[in-house]
Amino acid sequence: MKIVAVPSHALGPGNVGSTGGIGIGSIVVEPDEARVLVSLSQQMQSLLADALEIGTETDTAVQRLLPNAYRDDPELADEWRRFSRRGLIERKIGFARTLTTALTPVAADDAEGTVSLTTDAALDWVRGIGDLRLVIADRMGIVVDGDDARAGEPGLQDLYELLAWMQDGLVQLLEAADDAALEDAP
Amino acid sequence: MGGVTPPPAATPMVDEKRDQQVDAQRDGKLGGKLYERVVHAAEVPWVIVVWNDPVNLQSYVAWVFRRHFALDQPTAHQLMMQVHTAGRATLAHGNREHMERHTEAMHEYGLWATVEKAPR
Repeated sequence: MKIVAVPSHALGPGNVGSTGGIGIGSIVVEPDEARVLVSLSQQMQSLLADALEIGTETDTAVQRLLPNAYRDDPELADEWRRFSRRGLIERKIGFARTLTTALTPVAADDAEGTVSLTTDAALDWVRGIGDLRLVIADRMGIVVDGDDARAGEPGLQDLYELLAWMQDGLVQLLEAADDAALEDAP
Repeated sequence: MGGVTPPPAATPMVDEKRDQQVDAQRDGKLGGKLYERVVHAAEVPWVIVVWNDPVNLQSYVAWVFRRHFALDQPTAHQLMMQVHTAGRATLAHGNREHMERHTEAMHEYGLWATVEKAPR
C-alpha cells in the first residue's frame, strides 16, 4: 500500500474532486489489502447497525465507539444518548461505507488499484480507520497505555499496524492540505 | 498514546466565555456597589474534557485538536501531550449545548470526550 500526496502547488481551488472537497492525494492498494479492508468495513457497518437496532451497548467495542458523554450525571447522559446516538451511529456507518464503496472495485480486481482522495473522502477514511482500530484494539485487549499489541493474534497485530500506518499517512495528507489552505488565505 | 515527553506548562484553552466573563466583571460593579447578577442557565460554564486512550496515534489526536478547535500547531501538540501524560485535558469551555456539540464531534473522530461542569 502507498499513500501519495498531491504536490502542494496543485492543492488549489481548481483541483475539485467529484465527491466534494479538493483532491488531496491518492492511495494505492493491493487487491488482498482491499479485500481485508472491505471485509472489516462491512463488519463495522453490521456492528453499528446492530447497535442501532438493539439500542444499548452490550459489546465493549461498541461502548468505546459510542462513549458516555457525562461521567457523573446519568440523567444528562441518557438525554445526550437520546438526542445524539442515532446520528452518531449513522455517520460512523457512513465512514465505513465510504471505505467499502471505494475499495470494492480494487478487491474484485487482480492488480493494485488507485483510489483518489478528496478532503471529504479522506476525512471519512481517517475516521473509519480510527473506528476499526478501536474495535481491533478491544478484541486484542488493549485497554490502557502500555498494553502490548503483540499479545493479540498475529493476523490482528498486522492489521492493527497497517491501520495505524494508514491513519498516520492520511493525517499527513490532510495536514498538508490544511497548511496549503492557510497559505492561500489572504 | 505512544511516546514520552515532559508534561506541558499552563494550558491555553479555547475561551468561548471570555467576552461574557469580562462583561460579567464589568456589570458586577455599579458605582462601587456590588449587586448579584442573575445567571441564565445557558451561561453556567461547562467544559469538554478529552481523555487518554491507548489506541489513537499522537499525530492523529494533535491533528483532530488543531482541525476541530482551530488551534495552532504548538497548542494542539501541547494539549495532546497533556492528554497523554496527565490522562485528560480541557479543550474548551462555554455553554452546555456548545460543549455537547464539541463532544459529539470528538466521538465522530473516535476520541473519548465528556462534558463536565467547569470547576469553580
